[in-house]
Amino acid sequence: MSMRSQVYEWDAGRNTGATAANAGNRVSVFIGGVGNNITKPAETTATEFVVIEDIAVSPTLPLGISANAVVTTDIRGLSYDPVQGTAGGRAFCQVRINTTDYFLDPDNVPNDGIPGTASPYPRSLNFQPSFNLYPDVYVLPGQVWDVLVTFYHAAGLLNTVGTSLGVAASIVATGQLQCFIKYTLYDGPDALIANKLLEMGISINPGNVDWYKRSLLASQA
Amino acid sequence: MSMRSQVYEWANLAPVGQTSTLRRTIADVPKALTAGRELDLFIGGVGNNITKPAETTATQFIVIEDIACSPNLGGAMQIRINTTDYFQNPDVTDMVGIPGLASPYPRGANSAVALASALPVNFIAGVTGNILKSFDLYPDVYVLPGQTFQILYTPRLASPAAADTATSTAVVSAFVKYTLYDGPDALIANKLLELGVTINPNNVDWYKRSLIEQQQRSASAAAASAAAAMTNGGV
Repeated sequence: MSMRSQVYEWDAGRNTGATAANAGNRVSVFIGGVGNNITKPAETTATEFVVIEDIAVSPTLPLGISANAVVTTDIRGLSYDPVQGTAGGRAFCQVRINTTDYFLDPDNVPNDGIPGTASPYPRSLNFQPSFNLYPDVYVLPGQVWDVLVTFYHAAGLLNTVGTSLGVAASIVATGQLQCFIKYTLYDGPDALIANKLLEMGISINPGNVDWYKRSLLASQA
Repeated sequence: MSMRSQVYEWANLAPVGQTSTLRRTIADVPKALTAGRELDLFIGGVGNNITKPAETTATQFIVIEDIACSPNLGGAMQIRINTTDYFQNPDVTDMVGIPGLASPYPRGANSAVALASALPVNFIAGVTGNILKSFDLYPDVYVLPGQTFQILYTPRLASPAAADTATSTAVVSAFVKYTLYDGPDALIANKLLELGVTINPNNVDWYKRSLIEQQQRSASAAAASAAAAMTNGGV
């Protein structure tokens, strides 16, 4: 099993759940101390190669403010807050390799990353993706990587008792703010092949790794 | 990381007392929109903006792959490279660009929002829910090294509308998906442009592979001719 498809799902409502105090701050989905975490920063060993193929975060629906609007209404499964005029947490996710942020604004300043509105998790008829992570993001052997979630709209999330997270110092309910990462882990000889493909300028995916193995076998025969 | 998939999301949200902001904040509120006014998503002075006009350096090449905006307010998106608008009418006159109804953001948004109602997604006459895309930006739009580009959003309707109270302001957003080629990959992108080959990550990789194969062939040909020369010299 030297090429393995992997996923990681983060939920801000699990374990030490997010509160309104976390709004506006970047939170690591691996070791941020909020939601479900892992034991150490995500990193590749000398014999591992990771290809991140998709990232997604909870969506937001832009609507508008109105004096007539009902306070905190559920719209398409998201909590609508008439103060900011959006439903949902207004969340973004950024990929960081070592100390470098992957997504930049056109002025080359790192931004918040992919909006959940463009890459929603979970996908549904109401929330469909506009964004596809292509080309993939490569994490080379020995690199540390992270996925950082930022949400700006606490009132667009529900707390554990079903009211707005922004109203009181309460904890976000599970399923309100989630992040999803799909990646492929190449290990051992397949990681060496992935490095070789990288040198050759060939996209690293299981099909191309298998093609390289076949071409090695054919040249030996 | 010389080919990178990038996105830019704009919304008419900024803190109270400001019309625009460089960083999103937790206290952002919707900002008024004027009917028919073109807004540069990057430096237009409304909503979230960046520090300077979007431009490519001498070692960058940008391929814009998708643009989309909120379908409500009759919004539309235009791409401007230097001073030239990309989308034109058949009589070569200016137009507002791709309607949000054809390229909605988010996909599945409503065609209008009933701000006067107690529930903003209430259906009103002429409102369609779950708008899907009719438009695909293909071929892509190229921004060559040294060019300035703008993405312009134009609402056909104002918000707040004259019939609404001042507190009824729609939140609209727009989205741009592009790939940034930097350094050697930008040079390859230029080369592909000269060759008339579509610029995408696959073709850039193909060009790299063909360069490597060419070098390998040259090296083996040189080795073979050297070996032949030695054989001839030895005879």
